[in-house]
Parts: sequence; C-alpha cells; structure tokens
Amino acid sequence: MITPSELQVESFARYPSQARSFAVANLPVFKRMPLILVSLELRQAIQYDWCFPAEREQLSQQLELLRRMDAASFDALMSPFSVIQLPSELRAMDWVNQPQQFSEQLTAYLWSQHQIDRYHEAAQEYQQYLHKTVEEKPVATPRWTIVAIGKGIQETELPLFRRLLAQGTLFTNVDPTDGLEVLLAEMKSRTQKYPLEYGHWYIEGGEPHGGAESVQGLTVMSYAKLAPIAKREFALLNQFTSQSPGGKAGVEAVSSYVASLKPDDLGLKGTSADDVLRHFETNVLTQGAGCQIYSTTFVQWASRECLHRAQPLTLFARFATRQTSAPMEQLLARDPLQQSQDPEGSLIDADMGAYYTWINQSRLTGADQSRFLVWFEGHRIACAVSPSLPRGTTSTASANMLQVLDWMS
Amino acid sequence: MRAAKVLQGQKTVVVTFGGGARDEETFAPEGQENIPHLMKELIPQATFFTQVVNRGILGHYVATASLATGIYERFDNFADIAPENPTVFEYFRKGLGRPVNDAWVIAPSNGFNRIGQSAGGAFTPGFGARVVLPKHLLAAALGKISTNTAGLEFLLQDNYEDVLFTPPSVQNQLQLSKLTEMLHLSADDFAHHATTLSSADELSVYVMRQLMRQFAPSLLWITLHDMDVAHTGAYSLYLEGIRRTDRLCGEIWQMIESDPEYKGRTTMLILPDFGRDSDFSPSGNGFQHHRTGDPLSRTTWMMAIGPHIRQNRTVDRPLDSVDLVPTLGAMMNFATPMAKGRPIVEVL
Repeated sequence: MITPSELQVESFARYPSQARSFAVANLPVFKRMPLILVSLELRQAIQYDWCFPAEREQLSQQLELLRRMDAASFDALMSPFSVIQLPSELRAMDWVNQPQQFSEQLTAYLWSQHQIDRYHEAAQEYQQYLHKTVEEKPVATPRWTIVAIGKGIQETELPLFRRLLAQGTLFTNVDPTDGLEVLLAEMKSRTQKYPLEYGHWYIEGGEPHGGAESVQGLTVMSYAKLAPIAKREFALLNQFTSQSPGGKAGVEAVSSYVASLKPDDLGLKGTSADDVLRHFETNVLTQGAGCQIYSTTFVQWASRECLHRAQPLTLFARFATRQTSAPMEQLLARDPLQQSQDPEGSLIDADMGAYYTWINQSRLTGADQSRFLVWFEGHRIACAVSPSLPRGTTSTASANMLQVLDWMS
Repeated sequence: MRAAKVLQGQKTVVVTFGGGARDEETFAPEGQENIPHLMKELIPQATFFTQVVNRGILGHYVATASLATGIYERFDNFADIAPENPTVFEYFRKGLGRPVNDAWVIAPSNGFNRIGQSAGGAFTPGFGARVVLPKHLLAAALGKISTNTAGLEFLLQDNYEDVLFTPPSVQNQLQLSKLTEMLHLSADDFAHHATTLSSADELSVYVMRQLMRQFAPSLLWITLHDMDVAHTGAYSLYLEGIRRTDRLCGEIWQMIESDPEYKGRTTMLILPDFGRDSDFSPSGNGFQHHRTGDPLSRTTWMMAIGPHIRQNRTVDRPLDSVDLVPTLGAMMNFATPMAKGRPIVEVL
C-alpha cells in the first residue's frame, strides 16, 4: 500500500512509454493530490499513448495549472476530495497500475456510503475551476456537426427535431437531390482547409459511403466494421464467465475484464499509425452499453465519445436502421447485420441521438460559434443551428442543401 | 384459501417501476402523450405527488428494497442477498397477525427474489412476503410441456441494468411446482396464455391476476421492469416500455375495480423507484442510465388512488422514497418502528 506522497519515478515502470514519461514529468503534482483525485488523473494518464491530441493538451494544461498554484490555493482546491475517507481495502488497491478498477471500486463504495453526491459535487467544483481557469485555445474555425438520420426510410409521420426546434431554424422544403454528396463534399473541403490530426470524423451506422473512406485526414468509424468485433467481445466474455468459479462471475469482475480488453484481443488489427483510433474503437465497444447490439446506439455513443475526447472541428454522424428488438441472450448471440430491421424505432432513436449530439457539441469550446445540421436523409426536412440563423423559426422556402450550408456559414 | 380480512377489509396494492422513468417522458407536458391511461383515467381519481426524492443507491433491486424497508439499503445491487432491515411485509404480517398468503411480491428478475424477507435479525424468519418470479414460473411451465414454445424467450428477459452481466440463477424460496399448484395454473394453460403476451411485465400482471383470484392478498406488491430496456440506449424501446407500463397500470386498476374482494376497499400506490439521468448531466448519457445521482435521476413522482384518497389533487411538496413504508403502516394500522421517513398525511 502506498500513498500519493510516496509515489516515485519507479511507480510508473509498468506504464506504456509515453504515459510513463508524462506521469514522471507530473510526479510533483501527483504527490500532492489526495488519493481519489490522483487515481482519476492516473486513469487518464495511463492511457496517454492512446489519447487524442486534444486530450493530451487538455491534461497537460490542467496539470501545469495545478503545478503553478500556491500551496494554500492548491490545498483549498483539493480539500473536498481530501475529506472523503476511504477504507483500508480501497487504499490497499494497486491504484497506480489499475486506476480503472480502483475507480469502479471507489464508485461502488461511495454509493454504498451515500457519499456519491458529495463526491460528484467535489468533482464538479474541480472541473468548473479548471474550466474557468485554464486558458481556452480558440478553435481554428467554428466546429460543424452534421447528423443524417433515417437512412433508407421512405416515409414517416413522426414529428422530427422537436427538441432542436427552439435552438435553430427548421427547413421544410429542402431539395434532397444529391444532399448526401453535398454534405460529404463539405466534409472533404473542411478536412483539406483545416488539416488537424483526428480533427474530422465520419461515424456511420451501416456501411460507410464510398466517397468518404478515401478522404485524406478524415477519420472513419462504422458499425458495419465494428459489429463483428463486438461479437468477438461477447465470445471472450462468455469464455471468461464460463472459466470463472462455478461458471459465474460477479458484475465487478465482468466490468474489469471487459475494461481490460485491448484492440488485439478483439481482433482489431492495424498499424502503429492507427493505434489511437483502434483504442478508441475498443473503448467505445467496451465502455458503451447497447452500442454493440444496436447501430443507433453505436452512432450516438461513438459521436458522444468523439466530441468529448477528440473535440473535432467536423463531425458527420449518419444513423442507419438498427435490428429489431429481441431477448438479450439472442441479441448477444446473433449477427446484428443479418437481422430484420426496425425502421420506425430507428428513426425515433436517431432523432434523440441527434439531439444528444447537439448537446455534446455545445459542451466544447467555441460553442457559441458552432454549427449543427440534422437532416432526414433523402427527405425535404432539416434543422440547422447556427449563429447566422434565427432560432425557433420555420422556413418553408425552397432550397437545396448547398444553400442551407451557405446560410449556416 | 382466501385470506381473512384485515382492518375493515382494507387492501393495498403497490406498483413500482423497477426501471426509472423521467418526468419528461411521463408527466412533463412533452411526455404526457406516452401515458394516456395514467393521465386520463387514473389522475382524475388520484392524489398525485409531483416530487418523490430517492436519496439512496440508484440500482433497481437495492432501491426497491429500500422502498420496501423504509431505510436506504446499502448492499450490492447485483448480489443475491436479502435486505438488512425489516420489510413492510414483515411489519404487516407480524403486526396484524396475518397468514402467509396475505402478502405477496411479484418480482421482475432474479435479483429481486430475496426482497420479501429481511436478513438482519430484527424479525425471526417466517413473517416475510411470498415472492413470485413470473419468469421462473414460465420457465418451469415450458419445461413441463411438450408443445413447441419457441418464441417465448422474450418473456424471460431478466436484467437490463448491465447488459453484459447476467445475474446468476437463483432458487426461489417457494417451490415452483407448489406455486403453480397453488395458483391453479396448468402448465399448458400458462404456457399457452404466455403466447398471447408481448412482454415480461404483461406476464407479471397475468400472474398478479391469478394471485388476486386465488388468495386476494391484503398487501400486494408488483414491480414492473420493461422500461429498463433504456439501458440499451434505444430511445424508442424505452418509450415503448413506458407506454406498455402505462397501459398495464390502467389494467391493474381495472382488475381491482372489477374484483369484489378488492373493489371499493383497495388503495393503489404507483411510483417509479427513481428517475433517470438528465440530458444535460455531462457525466451521464441522458435517459440511458441512472448513474450520475443528479436531481432528475433522484426525483420521481407517486400516485395514490383509492376510496379514502382525495381525487384530482396535486401535491407539490417533496416526499422521500422512504416515506412509503411508514405510510403503508399508518394506512393499514401496523407499526413500522425501524423505518425512516414520515407518513404521508395527504393519503391518511
């Protein structure tokens, strides 16, 4: 058992190379932190080799800010965490090398002791302080998020975009001809104009559009590619469970096992050049719930994680239909790409997913200048949120997709 | 077989949702389209409490157990253990000297099978409620009959709370064969009827009807679970679950009103165990889970309906989830000495 103040360079010997260097460089700050907070920081730090550039920068800025604080201010900031008492079993855990497992046990403990609200309050205060104090780097250009929903759905009577209406302009007479191509061309143009590593993303609920994969600088993720990987995840999980004592494993053991899976375990092959993306894909599948079985959940969750972690300049999220519902055992066993589809349910899922994607974009720097477009693919209705457009209005004017993009610019 | 009458023949049915529901998909203006039965049929006859705050652990089994003990239980939500503190069923049966068949729980999943009887030692064993897991009954019935039962697996769905974790099978305290016999259910009839149902909760309500007919228990507790499909992230399925639950609540009240043993003497209380995360809580993912502990995930509502309940009244003062047990005690005239919370005066 060690305490944060006893951390040494050697403590990080088992970390991946860049993570080790990062941890060692920030050792003086880590040593001053209370256990709860240092374990949270190490949970990110141990993943440093597979963090996106935006995450690395954010983490470095935050730790640099803490390093420069005077002792009294630092202690005051830490005190809400310091006052939470932890039992010896938790303190004895290997929180340096297994910060994820520590975090899971910590959360369970805090819930059981009715201290979770206090902890959340402390974490929120801490985040707010960092957010307020760390100097925000202006984004190179306003962020754009485009969401296409309803791929392949011929008609619906559902009222779409109800939650977004107050935020932007509803267009009801958009010519859908070549709409998808226009949006992809806009993606390509932005990728070329503002080259940025992991700065431009395309997340697809089915097979990716043929025109997207060849775009230089565009990071592409698709459910079609990752559904077989999810099946592999379930197979490994079954194997783990059956090999556990009595053929049963507790929920914590299952969570820890799933969290420990690496891209290679799941058969996500690649090169060192796409290591970061493969780890991100692995995290999406192992940390998200339901994104393995429903493509609509996949697009929503992957977009959330992409916005939260990579903080892209451009995101194109395209929802497809998901398989019909079934008992969980069947869902975990069958191939989701070969099942009958639920178009109506998928559209409801995607409509909500679009709203959540807008919320997640709104949390990023430069939100007041960000642009957001959601389009019922192949149809005449779209909703655009932009500082250049009025909120809560409906436009019945005839327009094509290019004009809508132009009005949003 | 019928239970002897309790005080003035009064009966209580508690309906909880073991899948949190948010206001915005239920009683908020934008959610009311999902609950036509609650809105149009039940609310006009009910006292409606707009704020019930759950300050405990937001896991369905532990939260429902807390509702049943009147104390925020602290055990592992996924463990096969009984509540530490005495349950309302024990207070009821011991306090009023009620027989074993006068308190029943219809539970949604394996994890709930221990909810009827506490483990803490405050009561000697034997005063708990009988707990029935309809899915076990169906599984047992399917095992007995030779006809093709393919396609009924959806009624056996157990747990959504962690989709990658299947709770271990448990041995119900009541022998399945004995239970089917007690309920006068033939395996064939039961399995056949199951083919007409569309969800696990419908199966639970079907079993509830059998229990009411056979035993007319004075204290009957049912936990509906379908809406917890929200954990898969599919909003459409979550809404579907809410709509089905709404319809089933209407059916349960109709069952009460059409049964002479219950009509005119039954109070029904409906409440979700808690809510779900807010769309705007950064550490959550909106409706999908209930992990943040934010106010929306802790705050829900309760509806009380019955002959002594004032109709068409809304109460905005906040209640606490643990107020339920002392309220049941005060309503039915038994003591609940270890329960926290306060009786809800508006229903007494």
